[in-house]
Amino acid sequence: MFPTCCRIPNSALSYSSVISSGEDMAGAAGGSNALFCKNMATSLVRKTKLLSNRAARIRVAKGDKPVTYEQAYHPHHIGHRKGWLSQHTSNLQGEDGAAERVVEDVFIRRFMYGTFHGCLADEVVIKRRGNLLLICAVMIQKLLPSKFYFLIGYTEELLSHFYKCPVKIEMQTVEEKVVYKYL
Amino acid sequence: MASSCSQALRHHVCKSSRILRVHLQKAWPNRSFVLNSAADQQPAVSSPVEEIVIPKKKTWSKEAVLQALASTVNRDPTASDYRFQDDPYLTPKTSSEFKLFSLSQESGRNAAKYFISTYPKYFQKDYAQPHIPCLMPETLEAQIEEVSEAALIERIQMRKVKAAVDLYDQLQQAGTPVSLDVTNQLLDLICFYGDCDPAQENVPEQRNEETEDVQDEPQTKKGRASKASDKLKAAWKENNNAERIFALLSEPNTHSYSALIRGMVKYGAYSKAFSTYTDLLNNQLKADVSTFNALITAAPEVKEKYNEKWELIVDLLKQMAEQKVKPNLLTLNAVLKALRRCGTVGKSQAFPVISEMRALSIDPSLASYNHLLSIFYKPGAPFQGQTDILQEVMNEVSGKSFTPQDPDDAQFFITAVRICLDTKDIEQAYRVHELLGVGENWRLLGNDFQQNIYHARFFSLLCMMENIDVVLKWYRDLVPSVYYPSSNVMRDLLQVLDTDNRLDLIPQIWKDLKQLGHGNRQTLVEELLTLMAREKQNQEVQETFAECALDIKKMYDTGDRGKVMMSWTAGSLSDLVSVLLAAQRRQDAWEILKLFKTHNRVPSEELLDKFLTCIKESGDVNQALELVQISAGFCLPGTPKLIQRVQQEFLLSEQQKSMLSDLEIQTFNSD
Repeated sequence: MFPTCCRIPNSALSYSSVISSGEDMAGAAGGSNALFCKNMATSLVRKTKLLSNRAARIRVAKGDKPVTYEQAYHPHHIGHRKGWLSQHTSNLQGEDGAAERVVEDVFIRRFMYGTFHGCLADEVVIKRRGNLLLICAVMIQKLLPSKFYFLIGYTEELLSHFYKCPVKIEMQTVEEKVVYKYL
Repeated sequence: MASSCSQALRHHVCKSSRILRVHLQKAWPNRSFVLNSAADQQPAVSSPVEEIVIPKKKTWSKEAVLQALASTVNRDPTASDYRFQDDPYLTPKTSSEFKLFSLSQESGRNAAKYFISTYPKYFQKDYAQPHIPCLMPETLEAQIEEVSEAALIERIQMRKVKAAVDLYDQLQQAGTPVSLDVTNQLLDLICFYGDCDPAQENVPEQRNEETEDVQDEPQTKKGRASKASDKLKAAWKENNNAERIFALLSEPNTHSYSALIRGMVKYGAYSKAFSTYTDLLNNQLKADVSTFNALITAAPEVKEKYNEKWELIVDLLKQMAEQKVKPNLLTLNAVLKALRRCGTVGKSQAFPVISEMRALSIDPSLASYNHLLSIFYKPGAPFQGQTDILQEVMNEVSGKSFTPQDPDDAQFFITAVRICLDTKDIEQAYRVHELLGVGENWRLLGNDFQQNIYHARFFSLLCMMENIDVVLKWYRDLVPSVYYPSSNVMRDLLQVLDTDNRLDLIPQIWKDLKQLGHGNRQTLVEELLTLMAREKQNQEVQETFAECALDIKKMYDTGDRGKVMMSWTAGSLSDLVSVLLAAQRRQDAWEILKLFKTHNRVPSEELLDKFLTCIKESGDVNQALELVQISAGFCLPGTPKLIQRVQQEFLLSEQQKSMLSDLEIQTFNSD
């Protein structure tokens, strides 16, 4: 018994072929088998979902959730409508250290999120130029400038000593988080 | 070098061209025109046998490319200092903001350094190739624990004075002999720091901040200067550790005496220094250059009269010659600095000293020139035609790049520009400013406070001497990227505007004033208003003046965030009204007129006259009557005249006429 849904995804087709072959082999059982298979088929219908990508996506909802440009466009738009958040050369042919760069980036993003808590307007962009690690951040004007400078000095010094390379922060401030659309 | 290169190249070209020709001749005998090409003509070789000199390979430093690139870029006058972020919210707009932001950034760094030194185990992993030592955590605690000479050396290197002295005492008690070298190093340490531990960089100096609060806001930058002098005020105590350890030495040598004498001079025990020096002579030892330098510095302190001071210095120099000790640059500077305190003797002896030192191939540094200028141009003293000394000094110094060789080098530019300001010499001031742009000289301008003084004096001189276009050019260049002017300097700028009749620039200057934080300085604002109200300008300028005046009015009203409140005076109110009237803004002017009553100020008669003229143009009779009533309310002596004018110039109804005659009688009676 094939399930009566209109479209069967590829992974489910193998399932149904097994079941059909199972049904042939158990032909002697008759009705109960058919019922069993039908139950399996209906549960197959319920359990098979269209597997969809959920990475870095904010789904369309009621329409009151503000979303920035970075959040609004999905990862397949990177290179087309979005740029890269982390720029380094270790993904080029013959270069190594890509994994270490990723770990460093994750640490730096968490560090920035925690140190400038509530002030980040958008994702931090990390650029590497030679030895220099450049952290570009857009902040909301939530703190006094002197407090910003304190945190900038602290971050630069601490991360320089941690990663043994010069770390510079380039900061831009906006009055409020820049909303691209409401989802 | 280059010619031999090109000759070598030419040889090569000739050779290759000959080969080419040979091939061509063989291949294409018909195409003769090819053979007449440039390759055909052999360049004349000057000498057939010539050495080809291959030039030595030039080595460039690692930063050569960066320096070459940097030399193509000038300072950006629209950007703030490199320390700050390039964002309007984060750019400092006043000098106090400048200091606040740079200090808060520094304190952030100190906070990070505290964490790094407290938890060094998280910062040990070394990614950097080659190794960067300054990014590793520093050890603040001494490692070697046992009582030994090596431990003493370690503590000396870490500059821990008290710990080193304690360890030395322990060593003495234990009986282990400490070598003379190490003892000398210990003496150096104690004498340099005056027997107290140097303040750690990370620990905020709380003691000094209390003394800073006493000094008021205009001198905020003096804080740094006072810190250094606070440390030096720690006097040389009697029988302190240095003297005690020195006494324990069985055979003190030159180095020990030198350390002791220099410490005494640094911390103010001058006569003791001289007595220690006589001890040294009695022990038949020779002193070294730094000892003599210290003694020369101390010489003006121990004698009273100018002649005696000079004789003592000459005596010391003679002894130096006897002991065959060569003087160095610091000797020259010490002598010149001492001559500053010698009055007229200094003036006569300064140049001979310099020429003698030149003969010994000691070139004067900027500090020597600084002392020289200070000898001849005492602040506050009248000048008797000595202006050429500054010119001679600038002739010597122009175009040269100096490196810091003496702590007093940083005073040169400030002194030079002070002299230019006092003698009103704009030419020399330009030369001084040019010198600042040569090579590395910008490093010798000093810290932020000294830079501020330099720019203030330079700009004041410009305002005094140059016309408005030049002044504005410098203004746009310096302000606010390098220099945040104080209110006095801004007043000078207003005077220049006045002199050159460019009052139309006042609204722009007002905007700058607000941004610099001088918008609530009463004298400055009143002067602005007076300048705007003085003459009638053309229509558009008058409009801008009116806008500016209303903006100024807002500054009087809002006293937010604890700023200094300004109070209205009669003069400022009148000026404000005149400006608004001149721009035909009668309604606004009327509001301001009412402010006279609320702030208990009395308007002048001319003002009311002017107002009446303005009202007459519009023909509003009621307003005219109200004006007369206001005038009567203030019991002004000019009220009858006003009343007469109103009666003559306006068409009045019966009621109004009777009101006026009542008022007339009133004023007549009150007279």
